[in-house]
Amino acid sequence: MPQQHQEAAVPAGTAAPDRADPADRAVRAPRRTGSALTWLTPALLVLGLGLWGASLPLTDFRTMADYGLLDRLPPVFYASLAVLTAGFLVALRRAGTAPVWPSAYCAGLLVALKAGPAVLYDAVRYPWASKHDAVVTTLLGTGELRPHAALSGNMSAYDQWPGFFTLNAALVRAFGVESTAAYLNWAPIVLGLVLIPVLVLLYRTFTEDWRLVWTAVWIFQLANWVGQDYLAPQGLAYVLHLTVLAVVLRHFVRPGSAGRLRDRTALDPAAATVPPATTTRQRAVGVLVLSPLILAVNAIHQLTPVMLCVVLAALCLTRRYRNLGLLAVTGLIMLAWDLTMGRPLFLETLGTLKESLGRLTQNSRAGYAGQLTGPGPELAGRAAIAMALAVVLCAGIAVLVRRRLTRSALPLLLASAAPVPLFAVNDYGGEMLFRVYLFGLPGAAFFAAAALLPAAAGARRSHAARVRRRLAAVALPAVLLVLTAGFLPAYYGKDAMYYTPPAESALVTRAIDRIPEGGLLLATSGSFPQALHRYDRVEHWWFCEQELPENEKMLADPARYLADRLPPGTAAHVVLTRTQDVYTAGEGLLPPGGFALLRDRLKASPLFRVVEERPYGIVLAYTPPTTTPGGAS
Amino acid sequence: MTTHRTPARTSPARRAARAAVAASGWLALAATLLPDGSVPRWPPVLLFVCLGPGLALLHPQPRGLRPGARLESFALAAPLSLALASLAATVLFLLGAFSVPAFLVPLAAFTTVAALLPGLPLPAATRGAAGPARERG
Repeated sequence: MPQQHQEAAVPAGTAAPDRADPADRAVRAPRRTGSALTWLTPALLVLGLGLWGASLPLTDFRTMADYGLLDRLPPVFYASLAVLTAGFLVALRRAGTAPVWPSAYCAGLLVALKAGPAVLYDAVRYPWASKHDAVVTTLLGTGELRPHAALSGNMSAYDQWPGFFTLNAALVRAFGVESTAAYLNWAPIVLGLVLIPVLVLLYRTFTEDWRLVWTAVWIFQLANWVGQDYLAPQGLAYVLHLTVLAVVLRHFVRPGSAGRLRDRTALDPAAATVPPATTTRQRAVGVLVLSPLILAVNAIHQLTPVMLCVVLAALCLTRRYRNLGLLAVTGLIMLAWDLTMGRPLFLETLGTLKESLGRLTQNSRAGYAGQLTGPGPELAGRAAIAMALAVVLCAGIAVLVRRRLTRSALPLLLASAAPVPLFAVNDYGGEMLFRVYLFGLPGAAFFAAAALLPAAAGARRSHAARVRRRLAAVALPAVLLVLTAGFLPAYYGKDAMYYTPPAESALVTRAIDRIPEGGLLLATSGSFPQALHRYDRVEHWWFCEQELPENEKMLADPARYLADRLPPGTAAHVVLTRTQDVYTAGEGLLPPGGFALLRDRLKASPLFRVVEERPYGIVLAYTPPTTTPGGAS
Repeated sequence: MTTHRTPARTSPARRAARAAVAASGWLALAATLLPDGSVPRWPPVLLFVCLGPGLALLHPQPRGLRPGARLESFALAAPLSLALASLAATVLFLLGAFSVPAFLVPLAAFTTVAALLPGLPLPAATRGAAGPARERG
C-alpha cells in the first residue's frame, strides 16, 4: 500500500509536534497495548470475513417474502458485520502508521455488505441491470451505434450516451462470455474497489488525520444504500466525476488564494493545508489531462456531466478554485456531446424543462409514482430516510462545531451541496432524489466522520476536550453500528423485487421471442428481467407506470382499456409475472390485490387468449374482434 | 519548495514493474486466444482494462514518484484506464469496426508507448502535493 511507505518513511520526531498525524498521537500507548492491537486487527478481519463466508450457505434467498433478503440473512451474517466494525475501530487506532488495515477493513466491509447477492443469486439482481444487459447484447448484435434510431421507450438514449455499454460489449467479447449476465452482479464490488482510493484521495486533500479519512470512507459505504453502483452507466460516471473533482481540488489551486489556510495555527488540528498553488500553465496542462476523463463522463451518462458542471461552477465561488477555463472546457465538451450524439434526448428534455422547472416536490419524489407498500419496502423507505437524516445531522454538527475544518474543507462542502438545486429543474424519471443524495454523499460522509472523531486526540488537555474524546469513544461505534443497521433494510429490504428466478425470466424470453418484429409487448412495469429483450425489434408499453388513479380506472375493465389504446393491426402480447406483482404492489402502482384482479380479468376477457401459463407468470395475446366496425382507436 | 533528490537512475524493481505494465496489454490480448468462457481469460483482461493504461500514464516518473504522489497515482490509475477503454470502445462502435483485437491492440500499444515515456506532468507527481509536505533534501 503506497501510503504505508509514505508514513513509514517519516522518521519519528521529524514532524513538528503540532503537525504530527493525530492518529499517530492517538497511539502513543503502552507497548503491550500496541502489540495486542497488532494481532487483534488482522484476527478480527479474518474472523469477520470468515463469519460472512459461513453465513452464505445459510441464506435462503429463494424464499424471500415481505422483508426481502433482510429476514433471510442468518444471525452469523449480522455477527460478521459487528466483528468487522469492531476490528475497524481497533485498526483506526493505528491508522496513521498502518493504513493497510483500515483499507483492508473498508474493502472487507464492501464485500460483506454487497458481495452476498453476487455469490448467491443464480440470476441478475435488479431488473434494470437486465435492461443494461439487453443494451449490450443488442449493441453486439448490430455492431454499431444508432443514436438516432428513435426506438420505443427512449431506448435510443443508450446509444446516445453509449460509453458504458461499449466498454461492457468489449469486455463481454474479451472475456469470451455470452453476455454481461456472467459478471454483472459483481459490479458493486468492482466499482467500490475503484472508488475507495478516489475517496481516500479526496479526503486526504482536506485532512491529515488518517482516522478521519477511513471513517469517512466507512460511513460513505454504509450510507451508500441507494443502489446506483450496479451494472449501470451512472456507477462508472460517478467514479469518473469524483476523480475529476479530486484532481481539481489538488491541482487547480490558484496562486495567492490560500491566505491563512496554510497557517497551521489557524487550521483545525486535523485539517490539511491547502495544496500547493499551480501556475496557469500547469493548470492548462491539467485541463488537457482531465479532458479524456471529462469526455468519458459525457460519453457514459447524460446527468453526470450536468452534475460536474454544477460542482465546478460551485467551486468557482471560492477564490481558491476559481477556474473559469476548466468550467468553460467542461461545459463545451458537454454541449458538444449533447448537440451531436445526444441531440434527440437533449432536445426532448429541453422541451419538457418548462413543465418541470420549479416543481420542487414533484421533482424530489422517489420513484415514478405511488407510495411504497408492504412491510419490506416501507421499512426500506423509512431506513433510507433515517440513514440520510443521520448522516446529514452528523455532518451538520461538524460543520457548526468544527468551523476551522469547515473553512479549509469548504470546497468539499460546496461540491456536495451544489447538486441540491437540481431538484428545481427535473425529476429525472423519479431518480433525482437518489442522484442528488449520492452526489452529496462524499462531503456528507467526511463531515459526519469529523463530528464523530474529536478535533485532535492528545492535542488539547482541557476538560472539554477530554469530555469530547470520551463522548466520541462511545458515539463513533454507536453511530457506525446504527448506520450498519440502517443500511441492511435500505439495501436488502426490497430484494423480493430485485431477484427473479431464472425460470420466470425464461418465460419472459420465450414470450418476447414469439412476438413478431414490430409487435408490442405489454406489461405492468418494465422492472422485470428480460423486459427489454429484443427491444430493437419489439415495441413495449409499461401500462401501469402512471399515477394510481389512472391505474384504478384501468382496473375497472383492463381488457377494454388496453384494447382501446392499441394501434390497429398490432400483434400485442401481455406478460404478467410474479416480479411485476411484487414490484407494482411494493411501489404502490396498483392497489392491494390489483395485480391478481388485472390478471384474472384479462384472462377471462375474450379480447385476450392465454398463450402460456405458469405458477410464476402468464402470457396473453391480444385477439382483436373481427367484426368491430371502427377498429381500435 | 525543496528539490527532490531521488536518483534519476531507475531501480531493477521499478524497471520490472514498468516492463510488466508495458507488456500487460499484449498479455491480455494473448489471453483472448484461450477458449471462450475459460476463466484464465478474465484476470489479464480485467486487470489490463482497469489499470494498464492509467498505470502506464501516471507511474513512470523520471525521478520516481514522491511518497505523497503514490496515493494519487494509485487512485487515478483505474478511473483513467476505464475512461480510455470506454472512449476507445465507443469510437470503434461508432465506426462499426469493433472487434476484440481492434479494441485491445491500440490500448496495448498505447500502454507500451506510455510506459516507456515519462508520466503525465501532474504537479503532485513531482512535488508531493498529495499530503503533508514531508520533503527531505
